[in-house]
Amino acid sequence: MSKLDPRIHEVLDGDLPPERLPPELRAVVLRLERAAGLLRAGLAPASVAGRVLAALHRPEPSRGRRVLQWLTERHVITIAMRPVWSLALAAVLAAVVLVPDHGSAPLLGAQEGIARFVGHFPGARSVDVVGPFTDWHTGVVPLRDDDNDGVWSAVVVLPAGTHEYMFVVDGERWVVDPLAGRYVSDGFGRQNALLIVRPVGR
Amino acid sequence: MSGFADAPDADVIARILAGDGDAFGILVRRHEAGLLRFATRMLGSPDAAADAVAEALIRAYRHLASLDDPTRFRTWLYRIVANRCKSHLGRRSAQRVSLEEAAPVPDPHDGEAELERAEQLGLVERALRTLSPEKREAFLLKHVEGLSYEEMAALTGERIPTLKMRVHRAREALLEALKEHR
Repeated sequence: MSKLDPRIHEVLDGDLPPERLPPELRAVVLRLERAAGLLRAGLAPASVAGRVLAALHRPEPSRGRRVLQWLTERHVITIAMRPVWSLALAAVLAAVVLVPDHGSAPLLGAQEGIARFVGHFPGARSVDVVGPFTDWHTGVVPLRDDDNDGVWSAVVVLPAGTHEYMFVVDGERWVVDPLAGRYVSDGFGRQNALLIVRPVGR
Repeated sequence: MSGFADAPDADVIARILAGDGDAFGILVRRHEAGLLRFATRMLGSPDAAADAVAEALIRAYRHLASLDDPTRFRTWLYRIVANRCKSHLGRRSAQRVSLEEAAPVPDPHDGEAELERAEQLGLVERALRTLSPEKREAFLLKHVEGLSYEEMAALTGERIPTLKMRVHRAREALLEALKEHR
């Protein structure tokens, strides 16, 4: 890497007025300043404000809750075992998977209900619903439009209660559900949609 | 809250710590553009940058009471974002370049000057990506975010002469890379 004339650094560090530089060195300074200017300006406007405040409105989980969350989330666990034990384990798993299980329809807990999300997004490549139940992340509850009529929907089981949510179209456009009927302020002058999920027992 | 929008960071922080959590929105709106720009340039990906900045802001809010000098809130935020970026870069394979990290494709409907500007920006972005994370961070903080060496020292924990040397090396490396990418 070629070293620059120290006077170039002095000018860029504000230790030397640019007029003190010969023209060929001033051109180098201008080149660096132009590069910095391009990096400063060449970005599309973006905001994370809605995401941040939504996350802050959720109480921070307690240590016990975090442990419980870890236990109930999916993790890759590697177990080292002798080949003979791995064969035995494979046999047991095969028996469990291959034996037919009659009448095992998914059961809903007493405090759970079914939520249906529907939105009209013609031309969308993907639509997700996000809320505290997805940790405001996309990819957890994707909506589908199997007949390509622009109506996207998803049915999920959620804990009974009130849930805030938003649609995320094409992974980047956050859209309030115009059909929600109930809304709550996100604290920044915008709104999240509200959904009330009733327990199935009722 | 609107009458408070122009208040100095330290005053807004005092208000938040007194119980008005929503006032944090003022600080988010005030600083997010610079933080997103810095993280995007560090990571080369707007999505990864948004994740890093959102995580950093949430972390900042939750640890606001531990900030010793509220007048240095901006520097503190950059430090948290810089650390997030380093963690992200550490996890990511150096070779992997996603589509969004590739140079922007100019829209043929743009004017000639705009096309030329987009081309030059692509050139600078490619050159920037060849710099080590330390040099990239030094160049961005000094020349794009406009931090002083004192602020950079508070942010990185490094001594000012070390940072000056790093910025000098970053300038030289960037110019070299710009020549190669021409």
